[in-house]
Amino acid sequence: MPYDSQSLVTASSDDCAREPIHIPGGIQPHGYLLSVDEAGRVVQASRNVAVLAGIDIEAVAGRALAEVVGAEAAGLALRALDSLEAEGIPLYAGSIDDPRTGRGDASSHPPLAIVVHSHLGVRIVEFEPARGRAEVFASMYPLVRTFINSLQHAGDIEGLAALAAREVHRITGFGRTMVYSFDDEGHGHVIAESMEPGYASYLGQRFPASDIPVQARALYVRNRIRLIADADYVAAPLVPALHPATGKPTDLTYASLRSISPVHVQYMKNMGTWASMSMSIVVRGRLWGLISCHHDTARLPSFEVRTACEHIAQVLSLQVEAKEDHAEADYRLALRRTQTNLLASMANTEDFVESIGSDARSLLGLVGATGAVAVFEGRIVRVGDAPPDAAIEAMVTWLDAQSEEVFATDNLAQAWPEAADHGLGPEAAGVLVVSLSRLFRNYVIWFRAEVVRTIRWAGDPRAKLSTLSTTLSPRESFEVWTQIVRGRSQPWRQAEIEVAGEFRGALLGIVLRRAEELAQLALELGRVNRELEGFSYTVSHDLRAPLRHIVGFADLLRDMDYSRLSDRGKHFIERIIAQARFGGKLVDDLLAFSQMGRAALRPQRLDMKALVERLVSEESKDIGTRRLECRVGDLGHVMADPVLMDVVLRNLIANAIKFTGLRGVDADGAPAQVEIGVEPGEGEHAGHDVFFVRDNGVGFDMRYADKLFGVFQRLHRVEEFPGTGIGLASVRRIVERHGGTTWAHAEVDKGATIRFSLPRDFVPEGTTGVNETAAEAASRLAAVSSGQPYKPVLKDLKDLKGTENECAETDPAGRGQS
Amino acid sequence: MSVLRPILLVEDNPDDIELTLIALERSRLANPVVSVRDGAEALDFLRRQGAFANRTEENPAVILLDKKLPKVDGHEVLREVRADESLRRIPVVMLTSSREERDLLKSYDLGVNAYVVKPVEFDDFMAAINDLGVFWAVLNEPPPYGSGAGSAE
Repeated sequence: MPYDSQSLVTASSDDCAREPIHIPGGIQPHGYLLSVDEAGRVVQASRNVAVLAGIDIEAVAGRALAEVVGAEAAGLALRALDSLEAEGIPLYAGSIDDPRTGRGDASSHPPLAIVVHSHLGVRIVEFEPARGRAEVFASMYPLVRTFINSLQHAGDIEGLAALAAREVHRITGFGRTMVYSFDDEGHGHVIAESMEPGYASYLGQRFPASDIPVQARALYVRNRIRLIADADYVAAPLVPALHPATGKPTDLTYASLRSISPVHVQYMKNMGTWASMSMSIVVRGRLWGLISCHHDTARLPSFEVRTACEHIAQVLSLQVEAKEDHAEADYRLALRRTQTNLLASMANTEDFVESIGSDARSLLGLVGATGAVAVFEGRIVRVGDAPPDAAIEAMVTWLDAQSEEVFATDNLAQAWPEAADHGLGPEAAGVLVVSLSRLFRNYVIWFRAEVVRTIRWAGDPRAKLSTLSTTLSPRESFEVWTQIVRGRSQPWRQAEIEVAGEFRGALLGIVLRRAEELAQLALELGRVNRELEGFSYTVSHDLRAPLRHIVGFADLLRDMDYSRLSDRGKHFIERIIAQARFGGKLVDDLLAFSQMGRAALRPQRLDMKALVERLVSEESKDIGTRRLECRVGDLGHVMADPVLMDVVLRNLIANAIKFTGLRGVDADGAPAQVEIGVEPGEGEHAGHDVFFVRDNGVGFDMRYADKLFGVFQRLHRVEEFPGTGIGLASVRRIVERHGGTTWAHAEVDKGATIRFSLPRDFVPEGTTGVNETAAEAASRLAAVSSGQPYKPVLKDLKDLKGTENECAETDPAGRGQS
Repeated sequence: MSVLRPILLVEDNPDDIELTLIALERSRLANPVVSVRDGAEALDFLRRQGAFANRTEENPAVILLDKKLPKVDGHEVLREVRADESLRRIPVVMLTSSREERDLLKSYDLGVNAYVVKPVEFDDFMAAINDLGVFWAVLNEPPPYGSGAGSAE
């Protein structure tokens, strides 16, 4: 089971986090601390001030500062206090000789540096041992000069850290100097080290976040240097214990002499350290890392050295920030360049979802992923090492319940414990998701494979837990403890998450533009359709007229002057009439076809068997003596436009009868067979009824099957089987308008089967006239059926007069009975 | 009333006029046939104005009206006729190449009495014209004179 470092941090820091380390009530005894009021009188002092001043500690409070530490020191301190501009920032006031030296103390005392600060209305003066009385900055510069000069040669952050470790080691003489950086979870990772022989190396190891409790981290950001000169020190308590002005213990957040938590002192001793100094590396206001010095005996660096180290830490902080910014900027630039390439290639393709997948390198490189999928309108396009489709679908369902537009984790199993149950494996340890539309379930998901990490802890981070509940104590072992971390990927960087968000925006732009283009296309289509309507209208009027005229005059010529024509002339006139008639039929068929695509559908519940039986009897009237066997299955009912369905089935049945024209002619041959049936649709036709019309006629070559349903497509010579080639095109158009499809299967000389599917739950687009009467339907049928627009019923006047009443009933205007 | 009312043929295409006249001729109707070439002429004839200010013929027994006409089209003529108190009861038959639904609807909306699509087959065309002539000129009982059938007095 992977070790959950996050919860460990929380648990083990808790006890430490309650310790009020900023009000320890005393200081380390290598220096002296006094608090003075506005009038320059001492109101509180560390107990060791008595030694410094040569008076009883009880006598210190209430005296002028000059009386306690001498006029020179008091002058420097009070002037500095008066010049303080910001709360909490210590100011170096100057250096003095130890007052005891002035009083003729025989033993040698180092000079003292005076540092003042003000915090929460309390004015504090500290004295720390210094190297000399010279201006501190003058003596500090030679110490840090080497470091500053070498900075520009340090290549990366590790190089900078190594340089800082070496310089701090050199300046301070501490046995070991480490630089470590904190990861996102607060664990310290030792990235540089410089030591004396005999010190254990911690390079490359990790210190668990629990080693530095939360409030200590906060303190480290504010006060950037801590020195513990002697782990065996006995704190010098403040007298009186409560500050007279506030009535509370004095807050020593910014005091460099602040006494250290006994827990921390114990931690040091456990580590074999008797003196330590640490400087904060603060980057963009966050505690980025520490420079930490350890020594196995007590060690007190001078004030100048401490200041120099503080300065080195500040310079390092700035350099790290600059390097990180630079590296981040470079990376962002690279990501953005990748994004630009990706978007450019996507924008230029018709199917941008497909194009996401076609540029795998850019898609993965965009966020540094090892796999990716684009989920778009039910399609899944996969790139690189991505989980199987079923797992993706389960994940999308899970994602639908999330709310972020951009979601990232390097530990999917933690964010979604069921991930593994759905088949998401180590290839999906880390995921970065952008959701384009939750409604339509459109996502782009990037994956990062699991990275099995071996972490070398400086001691088992769990060791501390065992005793934690009873006493507040630091861990005791610093032996290397190796841990394997599973189920996690490299964490997603902020730049990657941001570029994913930008990519999402760009994708939305593309999707939106597609929608606009579609709308534009629909508009254009509407315009073209209207044009086409106008065109067919013109055809209807202007093309039919000349054809009628040709037929008319040719007929007249034949009627009146046939006997005077030569045989060839007679032949020509027959050809003229036949072709003009055919032309007229073509125009009529074409018009009917174009109307089928436009006229509104008026679906009704339709008895298919009744319809088919009627059509069979009508269409088989003219077959003469040919033997025809016709089987009509139990066709049930459908929701369809009765007029248009009449056209569909009439075409199919007429074709079947037409193309079986050579069957059943001879008495001994097989009869023509036509079968009309229905079967439930399967696969892509699920939810449809599939009707078929099967015959044993001439069939056709399947190579031309795709031409079968095209306008004016004929697979047989017109002399063999007449027709204009529009019938099946009409069938297809009508079926498609009902939401179905058409297809055919055939074998030459064995027959053909034409199939069409109709959805069982057909809902037509914007239907109005559902309650069409039979008469209305009949007139509509006349309009869409090609052929005879007018069939004369009455042959002469005599017939007419005898059937006046019948005639009246069929009068289109219904006015005959008046 | 012994004078036979004429049949008014409104048709711009000379071939159609010729074929229609032949068809009417063959149907042996006694009624005279007047043909005009556009909608404006048709209205002039009906209203006895312009070139027809002095026409002697009765108002027609039926108007055979093409839809697509120069100047004033068939629908416009129909609308004018139906709006004219002295003409509005004259039977009007649309005789046209168009089988467009919208033309049909518009014609009936405007009060047409019949709508016939000219057949391509000449025999059928002849039969259609014959039937129309017989029905409207012989069989059909026209509205009485002075009741919007548009007689002069």
